[in-house]
Amino acid sequence: MLDLRVPSGLFFLILGAIVLAVGLLQPELRAPLTDLNVNLYSGLSMVAFGGFLLLLSRRATRK
Amino acid sequence: MKLAAVDYVILAVYFAFVIGIGWMLRKRMSTSGDFLLSGRSIPVWITSLAFIAANLGAQELIGMAASGAKYGIMTAHFYWVGAIPAIVFMGIFMMPFYYGSKARSVPEYLKLRFDEKTRGFNALTFAVMTVFSSGISMYALGLLLHLVLGWDFNMSVLASAAIVLAYTYLGGLTSAIYNEVLQFFLIVAGFAPLAILSCQRAGGWAGIVSRLPANMTHSWHYMGSASENPMGVEIFGMVAGLGFVLSFGYWCTNFLVVQRAMAAENMSAARRTPLIGAIPKMFLPFIVILPGIAAVALAQMTGAGGAHLYDLPTKLVDGVVKPDYDQVLTTLMSKFYPAGLLGVGLTGLMASFMSGMAGNVTAFNTVFTYDIYQSYIKKDAPDSHYLMVGKMTTVVGVLLSIGAAYVATMYNNIMDLLQLVFGFVNAPLFGTFLLGMFWKRSTGHGAFWGLLSGTSAAFLTWATTVAEGKGGIFGNLHTFPSTMAQNFWIAIMAFVTCIVITSLVSLMTTPRPDREMEGLVYGLTNIRHDEGVSWYQRPATLAIIVLLLVIALNFWFA
Repeated sequence: MLDLRVPSGLFFLILGAIVLAVGLLQPELRAPLTDLNVNLYSGLSMVAFGGFLLLLSRRATRK
Repeated sequence: MKLAAVDYVILAVYFAFVIGIGWMLRKRMSTSGDFLLSGRSIPVWITSLAFIAANLGAQELIGMAASGAKYGIMTAHFYWVGAIPAIVFMGIFMMPFYYGSKARSVPEYLKLRFDEKTRGFNALTFAVMTVFSSGISMYALGLLLHLVLGWDFNMSVLASAAIVLAYTYLGGLTSAIYNEVLQFFLIVAGFAPLAILSCQRAGGWAGIVSRLPANMTHSWHYMGSASENPMGVEIFGMVAGLGFVLSFGYWCTNFLVVQRAMAAENMSAARRTPLIGAIPKMFLPFIVILPGIAAVALAQMTGAGGAHLYDLPTKLVDGVVKPDYDQVLTTLMSKFYPAGLLGVGLTGLMASFMSGMAGNVTAFNTVFTYDIYQSYIKKDAPDSHYLMVGKMTTVVGVLLSIGAAYVATMYNNIMDLLQLVFGFVNAPLFGTFLLGMFWKRSTGHGAFWGLLSGTSAAFLTWATTVAEGKGGIFGNLHTFPSTMAQNFWIAIMAFVTCIVITSLVSLMTTPRPDREMEGLVYGLTNIRHDEGVSWYQRPATLAIIVLLLVIALNFWFA
């Protein structure tokens, strides 16, 4: 059976990396109503979430 | 709203993944049971999230932000009153019969418990309903993308339908369920930042409370009389109509959601599916409703130069400018999301649309293949034949949904009318299941006539009452303060009529012998207690935790 944690983990790693890259390369990018570098923080959290899913899946297969 | 190249890249990555998941699952589809029922083998955390995501369509996301802006925190009643209690009831009391009876669908349960005509009535109305509801949501999405991004309506509708078709055709229900989980994560990733940013900008919850009328920030305080709260609903109509009849009717008998739990790997997992799903469900209002409420507060705040931070979107209706709440979500996104995250938010919106549509299509093909085709058209074919029919039905279901979307573009009123009619059919259904599962004396004739008379009662209630100029085609016995109150009362009347007529007709007809109903009715079913399962994995423990949490939320925002 396909372990869903692998494709979803990969998906969020890639998605997070793209958004994080925008946050790093264009740190001055802002939407009208916010002063934060939104891409940086959301990219980081998506990478963390993707990594977490992959970690769970690796631990499950090692058993 | 303008998209940058990076936003399109994100959208493309997402499309590649959903189709890729379907592609990886395609080899496992060797029987009709694999394709239509997932072979009852999916882990519980996946079925639980799919259970919630199948219901989280684009209309829900757009509609809940819209209602948040229109009615305030009372909108959360649709979750805390109108969903959680029903979900808990379904997991604890109804799932043992669905899963234990080995029925492959909700209509098939009706066949096993009652008779052929009750199943036929339910299967047909359900099949028509799923096609039209996925068509309506496709229409809503196409319209929104056209309005917000200037995309071509035809292209948006056809492209998204093609992607849904690709992954459901390849991997059947398993693919739909797996993608629903991915879509659920993406919806959270795409919209949680909006809730956080908009709420923070509006001064936090305290800042919102200080700027909004009090009846928009309290969910229970103003429920005493219909005239005091923005929804125009009084407490009894809300709790009995929405919290009891409508929500139990939806969550406990709609095959679209029940199917997700039925795909679980064993009885205990099937019962835990709705209960575990209830936990993210009760926190969804913070993601889907809160931005709408914050939008109203932002619209009253001024920035540098005295300009409003945000203006509620408007539309022209018969020459009058009215607020267009359906655009609240997308306009907020453009105010808070820069290129990059905007792509994630938009992909989340597409994901919600796809999960809603795939949910409808996978429920449609199962009910059509097993309850209509195998029952009335071709009975004793080999399983490979039904696998082929299931796959063909998937294609036909998507095509019919596209057709329904175009019907909606031509006759907007017809869609309103259809939704009204479906409401009439759905309202009494929970009464039939309640009696069927918990009263062994109820009979097939009772169930059928109860359903028909309940549906008629719903129609008559609508035809003799008026709300916001709607209904009352046979006269006006009562005027409701809002169509929502009218809907709740239609459901109450239909449910009561269904219960009374089913009971009366059942008592006048011959009961079925007990031995034919083993596993189908309470009292004749040996519900296995969860021996060997640790206490925290038992359905009852979970149910108590869920109920305590939801009570706490209600008090918090009372």
